[in-house]
Amino acid sequence: MNGIEELKNHMIKADYICNEKTATVLYLAEALQKPVLVEGPAGVGKTAIAQAFSRMKGIPLIRLQCYEGIDESKALYEWNYKRQLLHIQAAVNQGQDSRQVEEEIFSESFLLSRPLLNSIISDTPTVLLIDEIDKVDFEFEALLLELLSEFQITIPELGTIKCRHIPYVFLTSNASRELSEALKRRCLYLYLDFPSREMEEQILLLKVPDLSQQLAEKVASVMRRIRGVEMRKLPSIAESIDWAASLVWLGKDDVDVDTLLQTINTLVKHQEDLEKLERMLYSRQDLEFR
Amino acid sequence: MTVLHKLQGFFEELRLNGVPITPSNAMDCCQAVLQIDWTREDYFYSALYSTLLKDFAYQEIFDQVFQDYFTFPSSQDPTPEKRHPIIYRQLDAIEQVSISGGQMAMGSSQSQGRAADSPGGSKNPLDQDFRLDSMAEIHKLEAVFPVIARRLAAKMVRKRNRNNLAMIDFRRTIRNSMSSGGVPIDLFTIKKTREKPVILAICDVSGSVMTFSCFSLALIASLERFFRKIDSFAFIDEIDEVSKLLLSGNPLDLRKHVLRHARVVGASGYTDYGVSFKAFHQRYRSYLSHKTTVLVFGDARNNWFNDESWVLQEMKKNVRKIYWFNPEPRRNWGLGDSRIFEYQKYCTQVFECSTLMQLEKAISQL
Repeated sequence: MNGIEELKNHMIKADYICNEKTATVLYLAEALQKPVLVEGPAGVGKTAIAQAFSRMKGIPLIRLQCYEGIDESKALYEWNYKRQLLHIQAAVNQGQDSRQVEEEIFSESFLLSRPLLNSIISDTPTVLLIDEIDKVDFEFEALLLELLSEFQITIPELGTIKCRHIPYVFLTSNASRELSEALKRRCLYLYLDFPSREMEEQILLLKVPDLSQQLAEKVASVMRRIRGVEMRKLPSIAESIDWAASLVWLGKDDVDVDTLLQTINTLVKHQEDLEKLERMLYSRQDLEFR
Repeated sequence: MTVLHKLQGFFEELRLNGVPITPSNAMDCCQAVLQIDWTREDYFYSALYSTLLKDFAYQEIFDQVFQDYFTFPSSQDPTPEKRHPIIYRQLDAIEQVSISGGQMAMGSSQSQGRAADSPGGSKNPLDQDFRLDSMAEIHKLEAVFPVIARRLAAKMVRKRNRNNLAMIDFRRTIRNSMSSGGVPIDLFTIKKTREKPVILAICDVSGSVMTFSCFSLALIASLERFFRKIDSFAFIDEIDEVSKLLLSGNPLDLRKHVLRHARVVGASGYTDYGVSFKAFHQRYRSYLSHKTTVLVFGDARNNWFNDESWVLQEMKKNVRKIYWFNPEPRRNWGLGDSRIFEYQKYCTQVFECSTLMQLEKAISQL
């Protein structure tokens, strides 16, 4: 059995079903020691892939959730001002030499490390998940370049910190804006799309215990139809798992229009979409649920 | 022919089709191929895909080129030896693929040079609509789009100065230090709220401003990637929202795309700014707020219809700024059916953008 096939099976054991394409990219990421940039619609398992990967490897996952306005003090490191001030105060009282104090307060013990630095200085290999990278500003993206290509971080007061183990890096993006070429160049690109019907069925069976084969098939095929409708936000795998789980909870063993109408809130999260789908369900009684 | 050559040919083919492949992409790709069992199509495909393709927009072109270029035994083909060189002839060639980085980079940059020399990638379906004369011009535009868009974006987002952000709120810090005997344990900084510009673009897509509208739609589309909130509208004598349409496809195809999928042609089919503005006022007024910056792209040639400039007047009361980009040379303004001076009264500024240079200048003045 070759490496990719093996990796795929390991991922399944870590509760993540991936196709050949995804498995190959993961395999290459490991072989080439490159970060993976995962793009795709919301809820297709971009974040889950990193989580499953860390489960598979049995190593910790360090997660950096990006948001607009995130800066290095939240992502990389920050000096612990409070401790520094207290230390200076104490040193003044003891009449210590000022130069020595200065040296002390810019040492590692006064450094608050944030996710990125944590992943670099960790004693064990880690999986670093930089979630929703498309939310950050350009300046911050530039900050990541050093980390992603050299796996090192430069702190002006301390010097360059090199990593002990190269972390497995996953960046996820909803493609809400285009990332810089420099960043993309450093990564392997993986586009996750909605899964095929068969794959969705497998995922449902894996993720929802007590789900019957028959119901999984039905759910997967209904999801396929619903995704054919033009909507503001198409329901993704996360939603179909929720839906299947709620069907199981409600003790349903088949999907009909009434059941769908009853549970539609788990699938569609926009009022407009909801109305549209309801209209369709009412007008075309069966939505071709064959 | 070795795998390396075969791959290089593939890179060149991609470049000819408009997919940007950098030397470092190419190097990564070769290294990736070495890591996998490349006799299997799915592995081979994803190795190439993940290293060469960095943008989902190019997926279709990539798949097409891939299918044309590589054939694998699974596909039905009567003469396998001829069409599967990579499988049958080169099993022994893999040793030669142990690429030294430098050699590879050289090879790629050479081929990149060649691709740039070759006449504009005639196979590229995106270029077919344009006359050959203007092709070079349009290619130049294509290269400048992202730059301009980024500059525009940078101008409009008031830069968050990091020093400002870290400025200490002295009063608050000192007052709070009272509780710790004068030691300022908690630092309070002055936080400036960041201005988030909301952009609303209105674009004339009529025939008279064809090239310009191609270009402005592409510009809006690339801006769309920098701001999360851009509402875009296109009109001829009927206005329609095109925000979603602009997300798809290649920048230069957008005009065709818009004409096909949006309702921009109304009763007459002649450009009518008045009717379009009025329709905008009726239907989409709610999109405007005091944060909005409105960009209008068009030549203000109204075919002697009513100009309805009160819409702009009304708009101006509600929004932050209105900028108008006019592709006509300034000396033609106001001549014939041009109503630009009427509209100018209510614009923050009107820019003359008959060339790219002027547009860049206009943007730098914003």
